[in-house]
Amino acid sequence: MMPACVGLTPFGLVCGVGAAAAGVDFTGALGMSAIIFSGAAQILVMQLYAVGAPVAVVVLTCFVAGLRFLMYSAAMAPYFRPLPAHWRNGLAFLLTDQAFAASVRRFSATHDPRGGALYFLGGGSALWFMWQLTNAIGYLAGNVIPASWSLEFAVPLCFIALVAPVLRDAPAIVAAATAGGFVLALAGLPMKLNLIVAGLIGIVAGTLTDLARERWKAD
Amino acid sequence: MEGGLILWPVILAVGALNYLSRLSFIAAFGRRSMPAWLARSLKFVPAAMLTALVLPMIVGVPASGAVAWANPRVLAAIIAAVAAFYTHSTLKTLAAGMLSLWFLQWLASALG
Repeated sequence: MMPACVGLTPFGLVCGVGAAAAGVDFTGALGMSAIIFSGAAQILVMQLYAVGAPVAVVVLTCFVAGLRFLMYSAAMAPYFRPLPAHWRNGLAFLLTDQAFAASVRRFSATHDPRGGALYFLGGGSALWFMWQLTNAIGYLAGNVIPASWSLEFAVPLCFIALVAPVLRDAPAIVAAATAGGFVLALAGLPMKLNLIVAGLIGIVAGTLTDLARERWKAD
Repeated sequence: MEGGLILWPVILAVGALNYLSRLSFIAAFGRRSMPAWLARSLKFVPAAMLTALVLPMIVGVPASGAVAWANPRVLAAIIAAVAAFYTHSTLKTLAAGMLSLWFLQWLASALG
């Protein structure tokens, strides 16, 4: 999990900078990083909050972005199954992109669920503490670093670092291109509703492309 | 930003939904497996949602919301995307993107 902690650092700093730029107060920024504990969702909250979107729109958009957690949850479920319920419920909170990536291989290699759970608990907690620390530092730095550095550009760069490597096959590229086209075409929609609409259309486009490709291969 | 009252309900609601998404299949004891159509669709959540989130930050003009393709962030973002694709490293992506942006901004001011 150490490499994951290092990889998380710039993203955490950037989320803190983003919170400062959005004008959220320090307690609000800390609350976001501690409770939401997801960079994409935190940036979405800041963006939507800044345009005055209603609570329901913010929550719904974040929920769609968080659907990937269902995927991680399903992948980890068999490994967590031998553990007591309160352990499972606690560990689920620590399930992030980074914790999932770092531990799924470890779990599938071990036949000792308790050892795997302890590894996940230790690594996941370390990631959580790192996330709080880097968010706080980023927030404080964001208020000090001059605007001419264009530090806010680091926010999209962090998402580019996440999304570019997954664009390896046609369905993923179609999903991204469709979502990208619609988010710009629908930019006139109020309350940044274009985000969720474009995201959903992109997901459907990727799924259909994947199905079509499978049919085509099967013939 | 005013309206500090409304931020906390948002944090709690988003946090709760995030947690429930994380818990979903873990709470089902690993007995209930995911339907195939859902598994297939979820694969595309990051590609679609992150692109929808990131593109307006790069081509959009914050104040007007209008699309501006001819700005240094577009080229810097493309360079960063190539770096991300080949290195899988957040740090290298950030370095490639920020250095490109600073260089292009310096170039624009030197030429302009």
